[in-house]
Amino acid sequence: MNAPAGPEEAANGPDGSDGSDRSGGRNDFAPTTRRTHPLTPLLTGWKIFAGVIAVIAAQNLTQLLEEFTVRRALLGVGALAVALVLAVAFSALAWWRTTYEISEDGVTRRSGLVTRTGLTAPRERIESVSVQRPAVPRLLGLAKVRVEFAGGSDSFLDLAYVTSRDAEAIRTRILSVAGQGKVRRVASAADAAAGGSEAPGSSDRAARGGLRGDLEKVVLDGVTEGDLIARIPTTRLLHAMLRDLGWLLGLLAGVLWILVTVVVAWRTDGVGVGLLAVVLPALLAIQQAVLRRIEGGWGFVSRDTDRGLRMRRGLFSTRTDNLGAGRVQEMRLRRPLLWRRPGWSDVRVSVAGLGDDDTSDASKVLPVGTREEVRRTLGHLLPPLGTDDDPQLLERLLSVPARDLGGIGPRHRIFVIGRRTRRAFLLPGALVLRSGIIAPTVQIIPRERIQGLTLTQGPVGRMTDSATLSVGVAAASAELAGVPLADLLDIERELRQDAGSGRRYRDRASWAVPPLAPRAGSPTERGGSVGAAPAGDRAPEAETRQDRADSHDAGGRP
Amino acid sequence: MDDTTRPPRLGGRGLTPVSPRLVPARYVASIPWWALSVLLAIGCVVLGAWLGWWWMHLLALVPILWCLPGLLLTPRRVRALGYRVGEEDLTFAQGLMFRSVTTTPYGRVQSVEIHEGPVERRYGIARLAYSTASDDADGTIPGLTREEAEQLKELLTRRGIERMQSL
Repeated sequence: MNAPAGPEEAANGPDGSDGSDRSGGRNDFAPTTRRTHPLTPLLTGWKIFAGVIAVIAAQNLTQLLEEFTVRRALLGVGALAVALVLAVAFSALAWWRTTYEISEDGVTRRSGLVTRTGLTAPRERIESVSVQRPAVPRLLGLAKVRVEFAGGSDSFLDLAYVTSRDAEAIRTRILSVAGQGKVRRVASAADAAAGGSEAPGSSDRAARGGLRGDLEKVVLDGVTEGDLIARIPTTRLLHAMLRDLGWLLGLLAGVLWILVTVVVAWRTDGVGVGLLAVVLPALLAIQQAVLRRIEGGWGFVSRDTDRGLRMRRGLFSTRTDNLGAGRVQEMRLRRPLLWRRPGWSDVRVSVAGLGDDDTSDASKVLPVGTREEVRRTLGHLLPPLGTDDDPQLLERLLSVPARDLGGIGPRHRIFVIGRRTRRAFLLPGALVLRSGIIAPTVQIIPRERIQGLTLTQGPVGRMTDSATLSVGVAAASAELAGVPLADLLDIERELRQDAGSGRRYRDRASWAVPPLAPRAGSPTERGGSVGAAPAGDRAPEAETRQDRADSHDAGGRP
Repeated sequence: MDDTTRPPRLGGRGLTPVSPRLVPARYVASIPWWALSVLLAIGCVVLGAWLGWWWMHLLALVPILWCLPGLLLTPRRVRALGYRVGEEDLTFAQGLMFRSVTTTPYGRVQSVEIHEGPVERRYGIARLAYSTASDDADGTIPGLTREEAEQLKELLTRRGIERMQSL
């Protein structure tokens, strides 16, 4: 909103040179105002049109069918055509009035026909940039760029739609703008970060080369650089879906529901349009459940880059995401019963600022991975837990029954399920909770991320001399329920210290870093990368600090 | 309240109690609700008498019973409130039946606000609300005298800057 308005020149996209230079062009791109791709109105207009049709059809389908005549049908088609044209025309106007601009201050999008709205993702708050390719735009070679920034629940900014090539260029550019901001703020690490942050990928790519390399690059949406962390073969994904009992049961329930309603309808008053209204939601839900698993894991690749973990996934609609290690607040490993034999598990993370609006696939950093892949993913995203052999411990937690594990947990007989499944362990680096029967789940909360603690005790707790401790982190919380009070008070005392002293800005040089992260020796550089939790969403005092840094730098800006 | 002979409540001893003026303030603030409940009860009784439905009189008990805990327990509830300004964190305890104790480190606090409703202003007290990135560490301390609230806000802000923590 406060960004200076750039010169009004409507170019169709960044010229080719922007994409290739990642480190070179840090300072010298002029802020230009651009529009999205001219095909955008067709895509968005179509959506409005389809929505209108769906509403009309759902409400009056029976009536329409009963009073069907050719004349009416023609009239209807004509009206629809007019509506379509209107929708597209409206979208075209909206497109004409929507511009975006990537400048040194961040990303700004201005839109609105009459009332102009400017939405800015300030440079220092940009957390990550993802490129999404929904099915239909993908056919046209278009993609959507989503800029996520620290803030409330709706803190993202979409640039839709741009060509896939532009999307990559825009992504790199926004990341470099954001990187600049971070580097500036973490002044001590500025020199370390500005220099040799680029090298690793390029030589790798040159070496691969050839047609095969090109093809791979297209198939994997360009996620071909950096060390491979995990790659999921399609057979494994399908196997994993068939072995996930909880999910299958849900699916089965849906199918049964459909069968029962159809049979009942058949027996009573014949198959009519009314049946459709009952069956359709169930069908949609099933299709959603299946599609979500498929889209979330198909062709999944994750690689380690200098911007953190880079992931690609999707069959019809694809998306690529970046996840910096510094953003991970909490992590959950899950292993459904039948995944035990092949040793698979899935890994989900909680990230501050990432709303639940997208279908929560983005938070799965590993849809179904082998032990080795889990080890590598954890190594890149989580600081060490502090035991001699972290992967071994997690493996044990996922496969051994809770009663053989030790640790603390519900003891009283009243907690019939809890005392057989729930265990908590306080390790030097993290609080680890284990729960679940059908799908054992391990929740890992790095101790340095704990925001605060709440201890609660109700009548039942007083009766059984137990209480519940809620451990809050930025995007999630964990609960130790029904644990004996003495154990709980001990653990609470320790965690309270962690909450009060973890990740202080003044000792940022000694912040814990994931063991496998590149350049683990210089944590500030890591903290300075795009992934790190920014001061931007901190207290007002963080703002003033940032402002000071900016005003200090203002003189040196071109 | 003989605090020394009982087993300590969750949250321990040494909590600073909030101002006793919160008791009348709470009573005054809930007068509209009581009035509404009494009206409802009267309505039920009248309706019951008019229609000859005896069970409507029983129904009249519901709003009265609903008011009763607040009427009887407010002083004890207020006495159960307390906070402790620690070296590194702020602890806030509340609740009789369901007791909860929240600990919030100064470095994690993102915003501090003082609220003051019309009734509270009349009694010279205020509420202090602070929030962090997690719901589990947020809190609202009611019934602080105005000076206390200002002091606490000052303290939270100052220590927050000193010990500022990243997410």
